[in-house]
This record gives sequence, C-alpha cells and structure tokens, in this order.
Amino acid sequence: MSKKMKVALAVLVIMIVSVPVGLLTSAPAFGEWDPDYYLKKLGFVPKGMQHFPQLQHPLLPDYSLPGANDVLGYYISAIVGVILVFAIWFIIGKIIAKKHSANS
Amino acid sequence: MHIPDGYLSPTTVAVGYAVMIPLWAYGFKKLKEKLDEKTLPLLGTLSALSFLIMMFNVPVPGGTSGHAIGTALIAMMFDPWTAFISVSFVLLIQAVVFGDGGISTWAINSFDMAFVAAFVGYYTFKYLKNKTKFAPFIAGWFSISVAALCDSIFLGIQPIFWHDAAGHPLYFPFGLSVSVPAMLLAHMGVFGIVEGVFTQIVYTFLQKRAEKKAQQEVAA
Repeated sequence: MSKKMKVALAVLVIMIVSVPVGLLTSAPAFGEWDPDYYLKKLGFVPKGMQHFPQLQHPLLPDYSLPGANDVLGYYISAIVGVILVFAIWFIIGKIIAKKHSANS
Repeated sequence: MHIPDGYLSPTTVAVGYAVMIPLWAYGFKKLKEKLDEKTLPLLGTLSALSFLIMMFNVPVPGGTSGHAIGTALIAMMFDPWTAFISVSFVLLIQAVVFGDGGISTWAINSFDMAFVAAFVGYYTFKYLKNKTKFAPFIAGWFSISVAALCDSIFLGIQPIFWHDAAGHPLYFPFGLSVSVPAMLLAHMGVFGIVEGVFTQIVYTFLQKRAEKKAQQEVAA
C-alpha cells in the first residue's frame, strides 16, 4: 500500500471515530428546512413543497437509524456511507479494468 | 447546501439536468481515461472523506448550521473532472440513502458542490501553489464560498419567477436579498474556514508522505 493511501486511511478512521462531533448542533442548514418552518415563519407552506411527490424512502433518514440512539445511528450512517462510496468506486474500477483490457 | 425536493421549480430542475447530463457524461469519459487500478483506492478514500466531512455540522449565528464539502481536496489531488464526478456520486448516496438533498435537485446540487467547487478549487490552487504555502487553505475556502454563492442564487431566484396569482411563492420563498448574504456570509466566515483547514491539513499530510517516499526512492 502506498504511503499516501496509508495517510488517507488514517484520516478516514479518525473522522469516522470522531463523527458524533457533527451531532453537537441540532440547528438545521439554511435552505434545508422542514415544511413546519415555513408554516411558522410565513403562515403557509409553499405549494410546490407541499405537493412534491415523495421520491425518497431513505433507509437512514437524516443520518439516523429509526429507533436507535443518535450517536449509534450517526456511526452506522458514517460506516454505511463510506462502504457505499467504496462500492461505487469498486464497480467503476471493474468497468475501467474491462475497458483497458479490451483496448490492449 | 443540499437543496431538498420541492425547493426548486420544475423549470430549474429541468435546466439543471439538461446542463448536468452532458457534463457528467464528459466528466466520466475523462475519468475513465485518467484513472487506473493504482489511483482508484486513493480516490475512493478521498471521496469517503468528502462524505464524512459533510457530516461534521457546525453551527453559525442565526440558528442554522453547515459543513465543509471536501471537493477542493479531491480536485487538487486528482483533477477537477474527477472531483466533480466523485462528489456527484457522494451527493447521490446522500440523497437516496440519507434523504439529504433531493432527487430532483441532485443536478443543481452537483453543479454547486461538485462542479463549481471542483473547478474553483483546482484553478485557485494551481494559481497559488507556488506563491504561498497556504494555497490549499485558500483554494478550499474560495471553492466552497463560490459554490455557496451559486446555491444561494438558485434558491433566491425561485420567488422572483415562480409564484401564484396572489404573489405567494410556490417553491423556495426567500429572495436573493436573503439567500445570498445568508449563504455567503456563513460559508465565507465559518464553513469555508473549516473547508480551508481540512484541505490544508489533509493535503499537506498526503504530499509530505509522497515527497518522503520519493526521496527514499531517489536515495535507494
């Protein structure tokens, strides 16, 4: 394994371990509010937000595991996310390898 | 900066996909030409760092919070097209699995946090790298700030163009005079600093290791 890879993996591990730091604030992001916010602030929810069809059924909504405590849910979300990122690059790697061997 | 579904008009969404689909196709083509089995693990790891850094929420005055995005680091270590494609995938995972950012808004979110952030970060770094040792910090800071500006413009134009007969906004309700200063100040003042520090530290570590190794190889 290259030195760069070792450093990158060390950073990855440190970040996974310390990920609950991200839970210290419960403030929402600007422009990512739930519809209730608009009801309180404006007295109505914009129609386009109200009627938008539910496209997503997230397995880990807002980086939480329904029923589990926040920290555990956040850890699981971090690990699942990292695995999925690696899975995508693994698949792309296979596609590229195939293309390279087809070319040569 | 992850715009949820229902926040942008169908026209904005359609224009977003019309612009982004060719960019994704071109970026993926470039990426396939450049990457090989040797560079992929590092790219995968840096993409995972981008996913993780977005989980580190930081509060700002005014009752909101935000985070860094890690795009500039990938652009500096690889190239802007690769960073753009990587972070677009990260955003897709966030939307589908975690409900962070919409599906309809994936194109616009990818434009801001992946495309704009990657190219601004890459060229800022390229311009500054021989001028100051803080080039990674500045590239990270500037990259997320410009991305936030783009995001705030997409949000802020919604009530100008799309409202009902009574003048009620149909989608994101606050105009440019609210969205631009809110997003820009929070990112230039706080999240950009986090992005800059993250980019500087990780880039320096990665490069130092690489240089040490190169020296050892020369010596051996």
